[in-house]
Amino acid sequence: MLTVEICMGTSCHLMGAQDLISILESLPASQREQVEIKGVTCFKNCGKGPSVRINGELISNATPDRLLEIIQANI
Amino acid sequence: MPEINEITKIRRKVLTEIAQMTFEGRLGSDVQNILHSVVNDEGPRYRCCVHKERAVLQDRIKSALSQPMQNSIAEAANAALDGVIADTPVIQVLPVACDQCPLDRFIVTDACRNCLAHSCIASCPKKAISVIANRSFIDKSKCVECGLCKRSCPYGAIIEITRPCERACELNAITADKARKAVIDYEKCVHCGACKIACPFGAISDRSMIVQVIQRIKAGRRVYAMLAPAFIGQFGVQVRPGQVMSGLRRIGFHEVHEVSVGADAVAVEEAREFIERSQNPGSFMTTSCCPAFVGMVEKHLPSLKNNISSLVSPMVAAAMNIKKNDPDGIVVFVGPCIAKKSEAERYSGVVDYVLTFEELATMIVGAGINVTEMEAEAFSSAGSKDGNIFARAGGVLQAVENVLSQLAPAIQIQAERCEGLGNCKKCLLEIQSGKREANFFEGMACTGGCVGGPGVLTDSRVTTKLVENFANAALEKSATSNPNSEPMENLGLHRHQDNQTHPLST
Repeated sequence: MLTVEICMGTSCHLMGAQDLISILESLPASQREQVEIKGVTCFKNCGKGPSVRINGELISNATPDRLLEIIQANI
Repeated sequence: MPEINEITKIRRKVLTEIAQMTFEGRLGSDVQNILHSVVNDEGPRYRCCVHKERAVLQDRIKSALSQPMQNSIAEAANAALDGVIADTPVIQVLPVACDQCPLDRFIVTDACRNCLAHSCIASCPKKAISVIANRSFIDKSKCVECGLCKRSCPYGAIIEITRPCERACELNAITADKARKAVIDYEKCVHCGACKIACPFGAISDRSMIVQVIQRIKAGRRVYAMLAPAFIGQFGVQVRPGQVMSGLRRIGFHEVHEVSVGADAVAVEEAREFIERSQNPGSFMTTSCCPAFVGMVEKHLPSLKNNISSLVSPMVAAAMNIKKNDPDGIVVFVGPCIAKKSEAERYSGVVDYVLTFEELATMIVGAGINVTEMEAEAFSSAGSKDGNIFARAGGVLQAVENVLSQLAPAIQIQAERCEGLGNCKKCLLEIQSGKREANFFEGMACTGGCVGGPGVLTDSRVTTKLVENFANAALEKSATSNPNSEPMENLGLHRHQDNQTHPLST
């Protein structure tokens, strides 16, 4: 199981955090069930958002494409 | 709303930095830094070089400060800090940012078979087409862009390309000049913002008043925020309304009001006006809450001007109520809408400033506040279900119908409604010519209604549902019985004649 924590703070929301959730929700079922999505209120990484933490590793300026790449590589 | 793209991110970064610097009292000295923090060494993303990228950024900063393009950004920052809002259009083409899209309207594609029939050549009235390199060729110096060749080709090998801004504008208010720069015709423009959203270069911008608002707050004035009913879900799907209220108070807003209360008063008065008009046979009335829709009727269908309801918008009703109780208070409307910036200019002294949800969120971030971490204050809507559903398409009509069924159930309402200015215009023309029958019309410029506006932060497919849930949870079920909106009904909620002419240059 891959844990993906997505910052939902106001700064990350402005930079597109919702798009990251949408792309994860639209994963094919076989992949979706291997990903656990968690909402986080702040990673103290404001200004470099949207921020995502995957299995403990913090990723700045995340985009839907980049997130997909990492997830496909890890499941 | 589409995914958050790079243009949106740059715009929001610029606004956030400006807000932060203003709160921290260093905009005047540090505004130049934005040129380096937003365009960094990772390189320009769209333009030829970093210098061009920064030149574009200067235009963005001046627009974000509501200052004219000919001033320097240092002058612009100081003027904004002094509260100046330049007399520039609400929405404009940023001169350096427009990429002068070099589009030829009709293009012969690889699908051309150089067939024997050559119907393209035969169809061209200007003899602009010949065969070169085994393919049809359109001589641009002769082409008058009539499109006959496109229609004549049996392979569909000739395509038509239009500029995104032109295609987005359903009122033909934006065209390319001789140098291929986009130019807005303000006698046709109603500030709906469709071109801003459509331009892939981010070259069209509405001016922002965040600095002016922050300065008023910092000066210790009583600044009231009025939230449009579409605010539900804008600052995050899981953010509770009470958290937004706490966040706004933390920024320094004196009180936060809901425009849905004004919408209740408007729904009741609009139903009353409909009853009155119904006494005349063949009466027909439209809603008046969407300023871009009202602008479209006034500028493009002037013969129907008197069919627009005489009511002020919920924004103006709510603002009048605040000013009645606190004449020295500063009223800031916050909504999904750019056209409201233009509407507010007709009501100077009533609505002092207009911000989009996007602009307010950049202020929140600039103030160092994260609403997801705010304690939610106890909150239930002061508006009724009727007032709250104004935020989504079909809601105004539903509210008026609801009021009507209570005040005059015998009166028949035959209603039509449309989203999108082109659709509204077409439908109104059909009603006018008798092709369609209706005595009431709800007009919304944006698809989905206000939740689909150009200043929103969350996809309207999500917020439409959230608005519906929030409206259903309202304590007051009907606009007619809302004690909060009742006092507004006596404020004289009718538009004055001199308020009905649109200033052409704004």
